[in-house]
Amino acid sequence: MPEIYDYPNLIAAIDGSKGMVDKGFTFLDRDQKELFFSWDGLREEAKRRAAHFRSYGLKKGDRLAMVLPDGEDFVPTFLAAVWAGLVPVPLYPPLSMGKLDSYVDTLVVILNKAGPTHIATNAKIQAVLWSGLSKVSSLKGVITAEELRGPAPEGVPQEPAVVTDNDLAFLQFTSGSTSTPKGVAVTHGNLRANAWAIMRDGLKSDSAIDHGVSWLPLYHDMGLIGFVIAPMFHKVQVTFIPTMAFVRKPTLWPETISRVRGTISFAPNFAYALTAKRSKPEQLEKWDLSSMRALGCGAEPINPTTMRTFVDLFAKAKLKPEAMLPCYGMAEATLAISFIGLDEQLSTDVVDQEIYQMQKRAEPVHQSKMGEGKAQEFVSCGKAFPQHEVAAFDGDGNRVGDRRIGELWVRGPSVASAYYLDVAQTEKTFGGGWLKTGDLGYVVNGNIYIVGRKKDLIIINGRNYDPQRIEWLCDDVPEVRKGSSVAFSRPGAASEELIIVVESRTENQAALKEVISQKVNEQLALMAAEVVICPLGSLPKTSSGKLQRSKTRQQFLDGTVGKEGNRSLGSNAEKLVLARHVALSLLGRTQHRAKAVVAHAKEIHSVTDAVGKLMLAGNYLSKRVTTILG
Amino acid sequence: MAQVSITQLFAQAAQEVNGKKLSGLTKDTVISKLGLDSVAVMELVSFFEEKLDIRMPDEELAKVQTLGDLGALVKRLSPAGTEVSF
Repeated sequence: MPEIYDYPNLIAAIDGSKGMVDKGFTFLDRDQKELFFSWDGLREEAKRRAAHFRSYGLKKGDRLAMVLPDGEDFVPTFLAAVWAGLVPVPLYPPLSMGKLDSYVDTLVVILNKAGPTHIATNAKIQAVLWSGLSKVSSLKGVITAEELRGPAPEGVPQEPAVVTDNDLAFLQFTSGSTSTPKGVAVTHGNLRANAWAIMRDGLKSDSAIDHGVSWLPLYHDMGLIGFVIAPMFHKVQVTFIPTMAFVRKPTLWPETISRVRGTISFAPNFAYALTAKRSKPEQLEKWDLSSMRALGCGAEPINPTTMRTFVDLFAKAKLKPEAMLPCYGMAEATLAISFIGLDEQLSTDVVDQEIYQMQKRAEPVHQSKMGEGKAQEFVSCGKAFPQHEVAAFDGDGNRVGDRRIGELWVRGPSVASAYYLDVAQTEKTFGGGWLKTGDLGYVVNGNIYIVGRKKDLIIINGRNYDPQRIEWLCDDVPEVRKGSSVAFSRPGAASEELIIVVESRTENQAALKEVISQKVNEQLALMAAEVVICPLGSLPKTSSGKLQRSKTRQQFLDGTVGKEGNRSLGSNAEKLVLARHVALSLLGRTQHRAKAVVAHAKEIHSVTDAVGKLMLAGNYLSKRVTTILG
Repeated sequence: MAQVSITQLFAQAAQEVNGKKLSGLTKDTVISKLGLDSVAVMELVSFFEEKLDIRMPDEELAKVQTLGDLGALVKRLSPAGTEVSF
């Protein structure tokens, strides 16, 4: 039986590390050189760094922004902030090449929302951030990583803060470039509940044998909760690969798992595609991933093909097929909501496309329908953890039954209760004990299937993109008709892919496509897989004039976008369509009238009489058509 | 003495990383306008590092906007006497 750790909160978990010197966290640098902190060492770091914070006057409840790209700075600093009762606000560091301006702009928005008194960063990044920091009125100072590594200031207390379950543990800002970043207020109670769900209920971790391997960014929920906080609670050692080192060379991931005999690792879908693409046959022969027992996949839509390709390919590296672990979760529920069973292989549900689209029901059909384009395949994300519940709800807030598609709502002790100082967003998302996830999905015998985002959020390579943002960018292009751009994603070979549809009367479509692609790429570091240009007025709109994203997407997938429907009289092509409709309806009316005419036929006594009546009917028709079409 | 053509190397990297054919590259070409996503850009950086046997720190890369900036960084990180052209 594995030893069970049951600390009341993260501070107690850090404190419980005293004397545990054999295992802990190992940070690799780009050359794979190791820096090891034992559990006991991490506790010492937390105490020492907490004293640094206190010497700056930081006290319980104060927010501390953190922009620290290196794990060996980030992790001890985060733990120290929690130790001191502060509320850390992890933020992503500036990424490579260009876009520094838009990075700083977003950072300023988040900082002004979080209201930190101090920011912890390193000397090099500080120089880059300076232009933005002056715009954050709450900031009183910068604390550098270099300083935090130094000896503790004398005469400053190092003891842990006293916290309750309802105290704020940290603020988790949602990733990506959604228009207004929201900070999930994660409490100490949430952290304990989710760490237990992940490590005990989900992974049945055993600190004697388990070894996590992660390259995930530490400012993101999956990296921070999954590989720092939950393992600290349950004393599972972890080896960290720098995120940028993974992106530069994805094969570092399987290589490290093989070398340290890793048993637990998680990543979003795109990483599995990227790693499969980069792994060479001779490497696969050399690696031994037989130790791996939980290779989690979550944080973005799971593509069954990507999963199968990876499992097949990595069978050569002795990866067990049941190691693959699709899961479901989100920052608002701290991190994880469900995993599939540890001994289960990837399982999917193939459902009838027509019934799915028309009746919002997932009706199982034979796999062979996939090839005919008449079915959709969804990955099972397993059952909600004990004490947690997931159910689908219809638009009126009524719970719907198995296989009925609706918005997924979640409740349980891992679910946060608010966005930080954001009443409007909190009311929209949290209420009555349920978290309204915004994900569309269905449940079968407790197993959760996700079919898409209610709000059409676009998730590509692990980052969230609000379609509205992309559409606004397109609207700025002079040739594009204002308010007539639609952005959405379609399943791609590896990750989701971005599709943009705009209305324009341009003659040079190729040039316009290029301008739009470039603009979106420049602003959002996002590549459009396809840009479609449609005639004015051809995209579906609601009665109030709002573009219908999901309908446009469906038309695109059906190959009919821009080819059907009309909503205004913008161009001659559209008038032609309307003329056809008018003609058809008049024809119907004429046929109806014809019966009456036949009834009166007896009354026509001469050829002149008949011609005269027909001429009248013709004039009437031509007048009607002219009136309607102008 | 080593000779490095930034535009040539960049085009070669883009071709290898995501099969993208780039032409008309100059010193003033803005990298964010080339239609590469952020993962592709990092893979490209990795290509440069391996080819030239240098290390480009993340903070330095954050300041690189054009191929000219990239050339300047490559020159600074390469052994003395390396000639960087475009």
